[in-house]
Amino acid sequence: MLNYRILAVLKRELKERLFSKAFIITTFLIPGLMIFVVGLQVLLRSTESKNLNFEFITEDQKLIDRFKKELLQSDFVTKRNYNFNFYSMSKEKLYEYIQKKRNEITEEKLTGIIFIPSSTLKDKRVEYYSKSPQNLTLSRELEEPINKVLVDVYFMNKALSQEELNFVRKGIDFSGFKVSKDENIKKEGYGNLILAYVFSLLLYISLLVIGQLTMQSVIEEKSNRIVEIVLSSVNPKELMIGKILGASITGLVQMGIWIFTIIGITSFSWVMLPEDLIMTIDPKIVAYVLLSFFIGLVLFISLFATIGAIFDNPQDASSGIAPIIMLIIVPFFIAISIMEDPNKPYAEIASMLPFFSVIVMPSRMSLVDVPNWQLFVSILLNILSIFALFPIAGKIYRVGILVTGKKPKWSEVIRWLKYKY
Amino acid sequence: MTYSLEVKNLTKRFGNILAVDNVSFEVPDGSIFGLIGRNGAGKTTTIRMMMGIYLPDSGEIILNGAKIGQDFKNKVGYLPEERGLYKKMKVMDTLLYFAELKGKFGKEIIKKAEEYLKKFELYDRRFSKIEDLSKGNQQKVQFITTILHDPDFIILDEPFSGLDPINTNLLKDIILEMRQKGKVIILSTHLIDYAEKMCDYVAMINQGKIILKGPLKEIKSKYSQKNVSLTYEGDISFLKENPMIEKIENFGNTTGIRIKEPHQVQQLLKLLVDRNVVIKQFNANDISLYEIFIELAGKDENNKKIESLIC
Repeated sequence: MLNYRILAVLKRELKERLFSKAFIITTFLIPGLMIFVVGLQVLLRSTESKNLNFEFITEDQKLIDRFKKELLQSDFVTKRNYNFNFYSMSKEKLYEYIQKKRNEITEEKLTGIIFIPSSTLKDKRVEYYSKSPQNLTLSRELEEPINKVLVDVYFMNKALSQEELNFVRKGIDFSGFKVSKDENIKKEGYGNLILAYVFSLLLYISLLVIGQLTMQSVIEEKSNRIVEIVLSSVNPKELMIGKILGASITGLVQMGIWIFTIIGITSFSWVMLPEDLIMTIDPKIVAYVLLSFFIGLVLFISLFATIGAIFDNPQDASSGIAPIIMLIIVPFFIAISIMEDPNKPYAEIASMLPFFSVIVMPSRMSLVDVPNWQLFVSILLNILSIFALFPIAGKIYRVGILVTGKKPKWSEVIRWLKYKY
Repeated sequence: MTYSLEVKNLTKRFGNILAVDNVSFEVPDGSIFGLIGRNGAGKTTTIRMMMGIYLPDSGEIILNGAKIGQDFKNKVGYLPEERGLYKKMKVMDTLLYFAELKGKFGKEIIKKAEEYLKKFELYDRRFSKIEDLSKGNQQKVQFITTILHDPDFIILDEPFSGLDPINTNLLKDIILEMRQKGKVIILSTHLIDYAEKMCDYVAMINQGKIILKGPLKEIKSKYSQKNVSLTYEGDISFLKENPMIEKIENFGNTTGIRIKEPHQVQQLLKLLVDRNVVIKQFNANDISLYEIFIELAGKDENNKKIESLIC
């Protein structure tokens, strides 16, 4: 099937694509951006925020010492620059006090006032007054020590052993365990969710970029009238195969670079990534993604090339390209939606459907164990689609590529199928 | 005369338009063959069918007794009317790519490409991108791609369109040189003057049909018997009334005069001398291809508007 003419076309396409600006930018900018984002997070986590001054006020004076003891022992106070001053006053006084402190608070000399009313011992409601009261870090950090004091005080006079107290103090730790066919049951964090998201995003970007590049290159050949000279040596099918293979290999190289960059980053920054975010990248997933993506590229790019052949400028082509873009965007949204719950009823079907499977399956695969037969079916259906589509796409390409002038109507394109060429 | 390339009964329709209608002609070996006709007459469609770019509805192209295939494509150098190159590609890469598509690669072809580039004064631009060349230089590159793989057949569709006089001459010289090397050159053009100067054989196509074909000399002698081509100074309007004159046509520098009987040529000359017309050139039995074309193609134009065909 591959003769020297196809190879010559393929070689030229590869040379032109792999060194094109668009390819270099998308291929290296995206991993660069990923590294940047990861690095930035690590950086942000490690930088200290400026001195934070809090006033910790209880309505019940008896509680102050307990809170003082508990808080000043906590990690976040000892290791970071959180300063606490402890007071006691009644609720009525507090409002006056806050009025008085208003300037300090708005000028951020005082970060916030934490108020423990007496009623807290019954309903565990704590009040926080600040310029920016939605402070997740603070509430997360304070929750445990405050709860501990409240629990201690609450059960103080009740006969409970230390062990019982410890149990009561504890919150709930919800750990997810992934059950798979493997013998080991692994504790799983959010890493695989992120992986699923990254896969979907990369596949989506790459299909769009490579597809559009191919379409532009077909339009260029058509509008620059290069195609007639090429066709005097090569038949249109050979030209089309060469172009599609060239673009698909380019896409595969791009995806390869991306995936191996991810593997590189995740294994390199093991330490920096919180345990919850560790991804397990199964070689089987990598192999499947690369294979299915290559077949998907061939399938999608035949469509992009066909659309390119119908129109002779990018503006006209953008109207024809919309349905194909939908075939990329809809699976992308499905892939994102199944991250919430990989067992959604449509997940299984969408992950095997031709066109859809290219984006949906990798995402589903990284979340749940997909039976091998489903992987096989998804690839088989895509290959069958290529064989079903190719004669039609080839015909439209063959006729379209030599037709220039006004924008053809779809009815004309259908008529092309009947032409003898 | 041997014909290695024959076009037989080619027909091509685009929807309701009959672009090429039962066209047949034979291209003799080692000749320059002119396919002439107006724009839209069906020349390009015929050539595209010869190149396998269009499939004919019916008819075939025979090379050495067999239907043509990929083999033929490799032996042809084709310069289409609508020209184009990859703008971002370098000159040398472009030349090598098109040769590779014809199955020619390696050191020899690189050497040959360099030779041609020197000949066309493009050698120092060999690593420039096509888009950085002037239009004339781009056309030169295009022409080198047509002949670099040493084709046996060279098909040139309107080769002179858009060329300046110097490049036109360059191209003409190369075409004549190719004929000397025994190549077959098929020249499609609506510039009938060029065809007349260069071609050994012509086929005239009008509205998709061949209306005349054969060796140029024979065609001319057949149509020229009662024709005189005249260059003069003075007034010849008196001829219009003369009973022996059938038609006078002014072609600018020369005037074509058709008489009713061949033997009246001497009378015409005498008449002109008697009337003190200064004769600079008097060519008996001479007719331009253009005149023949107008005569043949013009026949049905008076009552029928020429449809413009897809070409």
